Amino acid sequence: MPNKKLRCAEEIMGLSSASTTASATPEGLQLCIFDLRRGQNEGQELDKILFFFPADLPFSAQFSVIGLSEGLITFTRIFSPETACEAIEAERHSHVFYEAEPDIWMVMVVEKSKEFEAIWRSDALRKVLKEVHYLFVMFHGSIRALLDKDPGGGLTRSHLYYFIMDYLGAFQKRSPFDGCCWDFLVGKKLLLPSFRDCLKERGTVQMLTVGREAAIEVQSLVRVLESCAGNIPCHSLILFQDLLVSTTLSPDDTVNLFAYAVLRLTPRALSSGVSSWSYLRKGATSHVSSSSIFARPGGVPEQFQGSDVNSPAGDNNYRVIRPLQQDKWSKGKDGFLVTDIWGAEASNLISATPTVLLHRTEERMYLCAHQHKSLTLIFLIPVSSVLIGDQGVSAVKQQVLENVSLKLLRVEEKLSKGWVGENAYHVSGYRYLLVDGDRNVSRASPAGKVTTLTKDSLLALSKLREEVDLEKSRAQSDNAGQEKELEVSIRAKNNAWVIARVTRGKELYMVLEKANETLLYASDAVEKFSNRYCNGAFSLN
Amino acid sequence: MSSESRASSSGDEASEPYPNPIPKPPRINWPPSHWPRGYQEKRHVDEDDASLSWRKRKKHFFILSNSGKPIYSRHGDEHKLAGFSATLQAIISFVENGGDHVKLVRAGKHQVVFLVKGPIYLVCISCTEEPYESLRMQLELIYGQMLLILTKSVIRCFEKNPKFDMTPLLGGTDIVFSSLIHSFSWNPATFLHAVFCLAILMCKHKVISLNHLGHLNLSLQFACLDTYPMAFLYAYVHYLDADTYLMLLTTSSDAFYHLKDCRIRIEMVLLKSSVLSEIQRSMIDGGMRVEELPLDPLPLYFGSVRVFWSSHHQISSPRQQKRLYRAYQKLYASCMTEEMGPTKPSFEEMKTTFYYVGSPQDFELYAAFDPLADKALAIKTCNRVCQWVKDVENEIFLLGASPFSW
Repeated sequence: MPNKKLRCAEEIMGLSSASTTASATPEGLQLCIFDLRRGQNEGQELDKILFFFPADLPFSAQFSVIGLSEGLITFTRIFSPETACEAIEAERHSHVFYEAEPDIWMVMVVEKSKEFEAIWRSDALRKVLKEVHYLFVMFHGSIRALLDKDPGGGLTRSHLYYFIMDYLGAFQKRSPFDGCCWDFLVGKKLLLPSFRDCLKERGTVQMLTVGREAAIEVQSLVRVLESCAGNIPCHSLILFQDLLVSTTLSPDDTVNLFAYAVLRLTPRALSSGVSSWSYLRKGATSHVSSSSIFARPGGVPEQFQGSDVNSPAGDNNYRVIRPLQQDKWSKGKDGFLVTDIWGAEASNLISATPTVLLHRTEERMYLCAHQHKSLTLIFLIPVSSVLIGDQGVSAVKQQVLENVSLKLLRVEEKLSKGWVGENAYHVSGYRYLLVDGDRNVSRASPAGKVTTLTKDSLLALSKLREEVDLEKSRAQSDNAGQEKELEVSIRAKNNAWVIARVTRGKELYMVLEKANETLLYASDAVEKFSNRYCNGAFSLN
Repeated sequence: MSSESRASSSGDEASEPYPNPIPKPPRINWPPSHWPRGYQEKRHVDEDDASLSWRKRKKHFFILSNSGKPIYSRHGDEHKLAGFSATLQAIISFVENGGDHVKLVRAGKHQVVFLVKGPIYLVCISCTEEPYESLRMQLELIYGQMLLILTKSVIRCFEKNPKFDMTPLLGGTDIVFSSLIHSFSWNPATFLHAVFCLAILMCKHKVISLNHLGHLNLSLQFACLDTYPMAFLYAYVHYLDADTYLMLLTTSSDAFYHLKDCRIRIEMVLLKSSVLSEIQRSMIDGGMRVEELPLDPLPLYFGSVRVFWSSHHQISSPRQQKRLYRAYQKLYASCMTEEMGPTKPSFEEMKTTFYYVGSPQDFELYAAFDPLADKALAIKTCNRVCQWVKDVENEIFLLGASPFSW
């Protein structure tokens, strides 16, 4: 242990000389991924770094971030061996840690700035890291598996670079003249979840509530879908607009595919072309300058290419599939969504049909998506079960289309009839977020309604959520089986009631701006909401 | 507190002359010989950062210099913790070199809280679930305590000689720090920024932690108060009885007999007006009781900024008391922040207890209820207590009292 201790001090102190250049770091966001198992010897530290944003930051500054992170991971393990460093709060920056895979760490450093309303909830930022990692694994498999395949790391670096840059591209702030004046895009900004997004929950699915009749139709559609593939165990996911209607996948896989669908596949994602955030993701968010996000449109920065980092092969011509690339999906004549991301034609090695890896079964599946008006149908067929590759997939697709097209029309019609628009889940007088942690499902007041809240209310809720996050994580580390029961009502500066209730894995967050009478009144309001919209899940009696 | 005796035993580095002008304090034996022996000794001195037991301690406090030299550690031997201290210094300096200041590191249930005071670094490593704000305040108090013992001249010593070894100067004062740290777990004054007052107005229980030092009968103390950093003060401390003492502060070093006269006169007044016996009675009674309130018997707790009044002693088990204390601490931290502004009523329900904090105007109320208590009734009770407190405000709080009027 003394060796480890010394190492920890060395890690920090040895690099302190480099830190003098850190002040030159472009302000805003830094995001890095590093592998603690690599670059153990002096002079090979560069090998640790698998991804760094912004890529054009001098190495000394990159090392400074990674050195501090690594030092603190080692340091905190002295006291907390199970959970190492999760966050550093400094006066001007927040560092958020996430151990994506054993010894593979993602660290996000964000600058605090009152001017840009950059007030973050570290759990919300960690969820961004989680989401990008989950999506990465869904398409490319685990980072460790990639590293094992190519010990030089070039393959992993290229994949991570394109994937995360494409992902971050989705956070880019567009000009208000979007679509007509692309050139107006001055001062590129990144949007990260701030206190204004405290009534949203990343990493969850938003469901459409359907009537009994429609539900029966949907169910029968799912059954037909399943039967299409004969004995092949395929899965399906049905979305209406940006809302989930039905899934046969596990909750984890549902979240990942749903996130991808909302990002790239749903009608809104396809039609907007540029900004493809769902209503969950829209809304005012704080900015982080990202001058270098598209600084290298040509390709991977040098240090992320295989040849530079001890790659035995010296090969930097990896074929990198970029599933998050924008504007790459379109709707074909037959209603199937097509893309050339996976190649225009099937090659010997890689199929032109998109594939994803299921989290639960680690099985690779072909991803097929069909769209009829607002309805998006995603179905997954095991790669192993289709013997003749792309041709086989086409045959299955054809078969599906023949069998379900009629039902699809009916379901779409039924759902459209019942759909009252964006404000479908608005409850007058309430601004709320409802999270079912067990099922990864959330429902919230529509973004347009949340924007009517004052800054004071949102700040108070954001702070309250930070506290609830802490309590939740403590309860988790105390006893996995024991769930936290909690109720907090706080009166914000502007007299609004800010309320959090956590019970049996479910969370309810609420802002009541007009209920400034008494605590009892606010409490009754929550009770009414709970009884009416949550089957009494949050009711005290 | 003889800095003279410490300096003489502190070796070459510490023999550097103390910046002038520092009046020479009278030489006294420190710590007093009548203290029980076990009480003076620091606990777990055999431990260091390699010991599992040390790593598992719930709450560590460290004071170190900006060159990484250990000055104080709550647990373990400072000298053995030199490597660990260097690591803490490295973390702080590394972030500072990058143009930032590290405040907090979180890892699971652990929090590492940093406080930089010029060349002095203070660190708390805790898994007690106390809010960051509370832990930071505790570090501030420890720093204040350190200054109280060593005065701000010590900072100048560091500025002149970064390798200055301060440990010998603090020799024997472990108990002061231990006692202060212990009070963080039971004395709400540390998070309420308040002083406890008895129902009777005259006894100010604590402002400076010197009152923890035990029976220092009639001794002239040399003190420096953080609020008045440039003033050296002499404190005349006289125990009026076993628990009550009078402290008179002066800037003049030769005012002993004058202060003694003052003390005699004050004592006379106190005796004549039977205030002293009232204080004693009040101490025995333990302040106000919930039963005296016009409500159902419920464990209750009051506070206000600067002065507080509580009924927490009515929970008998120390564990429960600590739990309640921590819950109030959290409530206080949630409500007294920049974003939240001054206190606003809030209500928190956990599995076992209700807590309430109300701020009708200028006082705060913290209360705990049985988990099965009816919420509406609980709120009603709180409102009644608030009304009652308002009625007797002048009697139970030291309103308008200023700690020092110069």
